[in-house]
Amino acid sequence: MKHEYKLGGTVLLVDNVSVTIGDKPIIENVTMEEHDVIRDGHNQGQMIAVVGRSGRGKSTLFKAITGLRKPTKGRILIPSDEANKPIEVKEGDVGFVDQKYTLFRHLTLYNQLKLAAQKGSTPESEIHGRVMELLSKWGLEKAKDQYPGHCSGGQRQRAAILSQILSSGYFLVLDEPFSGLDVGNVEDVKSMLRLVNASHELSTIIFSTHDIELAVELADKIYVIGFPSEDKQIGTIVSAFDLKTLGLAWQSYGKEHIDLVHDIKKKILAS
Amino acid sequence: MFKKIITPFEVMKAPHNMALIAFWLVAVIGFWYLSTTGQKHLLPSPQSVLTGLGEEYQEGLVPHIMSSLSLCAQATFWALLVSLPLAYLSTLPLFRPVIQGISKFRYLPLTGITFYLATSPLISSGRAMQVGVLVIFMSVYFVTSLLSVIADIPEEEFDHARSLKMNRWEVLWHVIIRGRIDYAIEILRQNLAIVWMMLVTVESIVMSAGGLGTIIKNADRYANHGRIFAAQLVILLIGILLDYLLSELRYSFPYVNRTQK
Repeated sequence: MKHEYKLGGTVLLVDNVSVTIGDKPIIENVTMEEHDVIRDGHNQGQMIAVVGRSGRGKSTLFKAITGLRKPTKGRILIPSDEANKPIEVKEGDVGFVDQKYTLFRHLTLYNQLKLAAQKGSTPESEIHGRVMELLSKWGLEKAKDQYPGHCSGGQRQRAAILSQILSSGYFLVLDEPFSGLDVGNVEDVKSMLRLVNASHELSTIIFSTHDIELAVELADKIYVIGFPSEDKQIGTIVSAFDLKTLGLAWQSYGKEHIDLVHDIKKKILAS
Repeated sequence: MFKKIITPFEVMKAPHNMALIAFWLVAVIGFWYLSTTGQKHLLPSPQSVLTGLGEEYQEGLVPHIMSSLSLCAQATFWALLVSLPLAYLSTLPLFRPVIQGISKFRYLPLTGITFYLATSPLISSGRAMQVGVLVIFMSVYFVTSLLSVIADIPEEEFDHARSLKMNRWEVLWHVIIRGRIDYAIEILRQNLAIVWMMLVTVESIVMSAGGLGTIIKNADRYANHGRIFAAQLVILLIGILLDYLLSELRYSFPYVNRTQK
């Protein structure tokens, strides 16, 4: 059964973006436009996956989207507080979680989140309550006084994601969040992403992965980044699969999903 | 058991490790005794070393130790005051070339530095010259090691701080200054070993300031090997104690794991 949905305003516009590092062009003419997906009776955001072979520019694209690397050409727009006035993304507007789930090594989990909240929009008087609420909700209350070096991988993952949520708000970019995780941790991260996705209508999660099955299971849109031809070794979007229009988003994983996985793998291998 | 102790990478139980340490301690002392019997020997006998140590104690060993520790403490204080800001300022493009240049000064010979400090009108006393020589040496190595620590910080840590809306000074504070303070202590521990090793040389430049180096130099003048060896042992033991204390200071930071190298 295909789920009904409507598209709202643009939540992310990557407009013809190119990034060159030194003399080497890494990505070129990347364009992505994401809209607020509205479903009656559901409070949910958008989940976008970027897949592609190693060295095709996924991490560079993510750094551009998060404002950590300025595009050489093009622009990246996100909504601002004022309606119909999008702004160019800058450092800190979009949360970024790398595959190592990096945290400050000298701060306890509580202090990591407190610092992140101070950088975000939480009023000072509400920070303690908000941090404690999230620690409790995400099962980190007992580990709140631990340092990252003494935490399990799962605890670090949750703390890294939470600190970005507290600081950046709705946008979250995760670079290979499933890399090197065991089956249990993969399930944990999936649950976390769904939790974040359901937290706000404008929540927008963009993640990269080499696990195409996972991308198809979680995302409602998938971009394939790759080289457009053998002669042109610069990353760009070579295909996009909108699982909403295909009727595969928010559905139980079935045969049609498996067929889509095959199609995506073909596109990846060809690029 | 024997096969285990001669097998590469074999992990031993704590009591067995202690037994091995005790074995080597006995072996070294035994070798020392044996090698000092007879007419010609390489090392002074344990008895002459004990006698030398007793004489040195009578002649004011403790004030000399305090003098050496004071010299080291002063040199460390000034070296830290110079090196830490220099290393942190290396993150600013304006200062980077100068600070990387300072790091190259570690190839300068000690004699040249001593000569310039001795003739400098800014150096008012023998102790100031000793401190100056040690500060220069310690600082160039300290800056070099800190630059290496900063260069080895993974890019992800900077990205994490920047993604939390931190300005560049906050990134410097959290990722490099606070985030690597234990590394700075570890570098200090390694540099202090160099300084402690140079003690005899530096203290013998100006004998009037006293110190363990002076004791060795005096004993050397009369070729009293027992006293030289005794002073060397004292320097070694105090050095090991300082090393242990700095190591403990590093591990006193709650986020540092004991297993961390």
